[in-house]
Amino acid sequence: MTTITLENLRKEFDDVVAVDGLDLTIRDGEFLVVVGPSGCGKSTTLRLLAGLETATDGEIRMDDRDVTGTEPPERNVAMVFQNYALYPHMTGRRNITFGMNAGGSFTDEEIDRRVAEAAETLDITGLLDRKPQAMSGGERQRVALGRAIVRDPDAFLMDEPLSNLDAKLRIQMRAELTRLHAELGTTTVYVTHDQTEAMTLGERVVVMDDGRIQQVDPPQSLYDFPANRFVAEFIGDPAMNMIDVAVEGGVAVHDAFRIPLPAGNAAGETGSEAESLADPDAGDRPHAVLGIRPEDLHPARERPDLGETEFDATVDVTEPLGDSLLVHCSVGDATFKMSAEPRSSLEPGGTVSVTYDPERLHLFEPETGEAFYHSATAPAPSDRLERVVND
Amino acid sequence: MSTREIFDGRLEAALLLAPTLLVSVVFLYYPTALAFRTSLFDSGFGRAEEFVGLENYLTLLGSSAYHSSVVISVVFAALVVAGTIAVSLYLTFLIHEVDTGQGWYLISVIWPYALPPAVAALVFLFVFHPTLGVLTGPIEALGLEVDWFNDGPQAFLVVLLVAIWKQIGYNVIFMIAAMKNIPDALTETAELDGVGRLHRLVSVYVPIMTPTLFFLVIINTIYAFFGTFAFVDLLTSGGPANATNVLIFDLYREGFSFFNFGVASTKSVVLFLVVAVLMVIQFRLTEEYSYYGA
Repeated sequence: MTTITLENLRKEFDDVVAVDGLDLTIRDGEFLVVVGPSGCGKSTTLRLLAGLETATDGEIRMDDRDVTGTEPPERNVAMVFQNYALYPHMTGRRNITFGMNAGGSFTDEEIDRRVAEAAETLDITGLLDRKPQAMSGGERQRVALGRAIVRDPDAFLMDEPLSNLDAKLRIQMRAELTRLHAELGTTTVYVTHDQTEAMTLGERVVVMDDGRIQQVDPPQSLYDFPANRFVAEFIGDPAMNMIDVAVEGGVAVHDAFRIPLPAGNAAGETGSEAESLADPDAGDRPHAVLGIRPEDLHPARERPDLGETEFDATVDVTEPLGDSLLVHCSVGDATFKMSAEPRSSLEPGGTVSVTYDPERLHLFEPETGEAFYHSATAPAPSDRLERVVND
Repeated sequence: MSTREIFDGRLEAALLLAPTLLVSVVFLYYPTALAFRTSLFDSGFGRAEEFVGLENYLTLLGSSAYHSSVVISVVFAALVVAGTIAVSLYLTFLIHEVDTGQGWYLISVIWPYALPPAVAALVFLFVFHPTLGVLTGPIEALGLEVDWFNDGPQAFLVVLLVAIWKQIGYNVIFMIAAMKNIPDALTETAELDGVGRLHRLVSVYVPIMTPTLFFLVIINTIYAFFGTFAFVDLLTSGGPANATNVLIFDLYREGFSFFNFGVASTKSVVLFLVVAVLMVIQFRLTEEYSYYGA
């Protein structure tokens, strides 16, 4: 049980800044997921936590202990790697016990007891006498997890542990990790580039880009209140549509359409929590970026309940996804994607009348990308919309 | 098209194989057959050849000098192989671990391999010469007497040192390649578990490197028996008192100093058999203990 605190943590490789001044508190017993694109510094952060890299600047504390300069074994953390990192010449059991034996701080009976426990928890008793070569990817990763948990570490550090597994197994292991965490309650830091994994596993999710933290929030807040364009576009698949607009008198104005903005939330500096309500009328802006997720746009005839504000767009491409139809549309110089009923009769080249969920609009600064407006928590959409339209 | 149909006919295939076959037959198979034939004859300079059957073999079987040469060769080979592997492995590990200047360390370890054996022998002659040697003074300052021109075990040690030193480069090249192939994550896991450096080398790296190490054991064995002639010839000439009279040098002397071609051929056949038997044993062990990873 450990709280991990990072303060102004920085790591440079020659002239490349991999981690650029991180401030973060990982709470006791929390499952924290760090997500971001390749090269965003997430793995480096994890390696800094493990002690496999030395921080250029800043501080790492575990509870009240400063571990910034200490060697990996003294931190008492266990790491699980993407490629499992099992010793190929050792059996499952030997893989699990090798580190414990080397450490010399466990008696043989203690080791046997712990291995039996871990094997039980992970259902790997049958694998203990096999070598990794004779195990499947999922089995190997389970043995690797076993190796991590027998040592009863203060924290688990997981570096994309599911990336080498096939899709089905990944979903299964995801659920197992959640169960394991609920059972053990050990502070866990989990690094991934897969936003689905981040959303499903994390109690809180850290989105990183370019060595910096973009946002730290529970998954749903991250999705509903992205702090900036990067987070908005990174979280969610297909990505959020971004359309250049102007804001005039509480309306997002584009050459081809006008979308009234319900009085919503002004995003805070880091967008962490919904903050004070702000009236969009207050500030007209010649340039802003309107963000709407594809699933919040609909063909008007499918969702008459959403109100009367609609605009016409041209269908460019349709992609059947099974449970929905993804429609690529264009309107004026803007293109966007929209989610339609799976068996809609939309054809490329045709025109479609588009409506949207007024509770799910976001506005971003065009230059900095910071979110300055989320329409969520606005009052009931229909009457509000009518009022604006009537204006 | 199956691979069998690449060539139009047997003639074309035979033509393409001919150069390799020709070289093999002229320089390998024919001399081997000739050596075996000569071993059955009493043959020498200016003497008529006389068929003696297995007499040469019986002579060697009863020769205590030859027996001691076999023992010296086997012990020498074992020490060369073990010493070369151990020293090279540790040097490779140090080079692998170092962060800066890896290339320079590598070059400095590998260059002796590029030296002709005769030059290497001369270098050591001047390093360890009992009166003129560069290191003789410092060693004698430690209270040891450097006298390998007269002291058999010392001479054996000097030849052993050159033989190992000369072969390190070759071993390191292969070992560093094998060691660099070991995933970093294994090293890091071991580090996180608090596995000590040497323990990591012995328990993690060496088992994974076994295919390379067994290959090197075989190459080093052949080297120890056949490739160390120049060191013995230039440093000790088999002496003092036959202390360094390894088989390859012994048969050379038999043939080209005493001109007993028949006996020399017999000795070369025996040497061939000794090495062949060792190879078979080593290959068997390789199959059994070598780990070929997934």
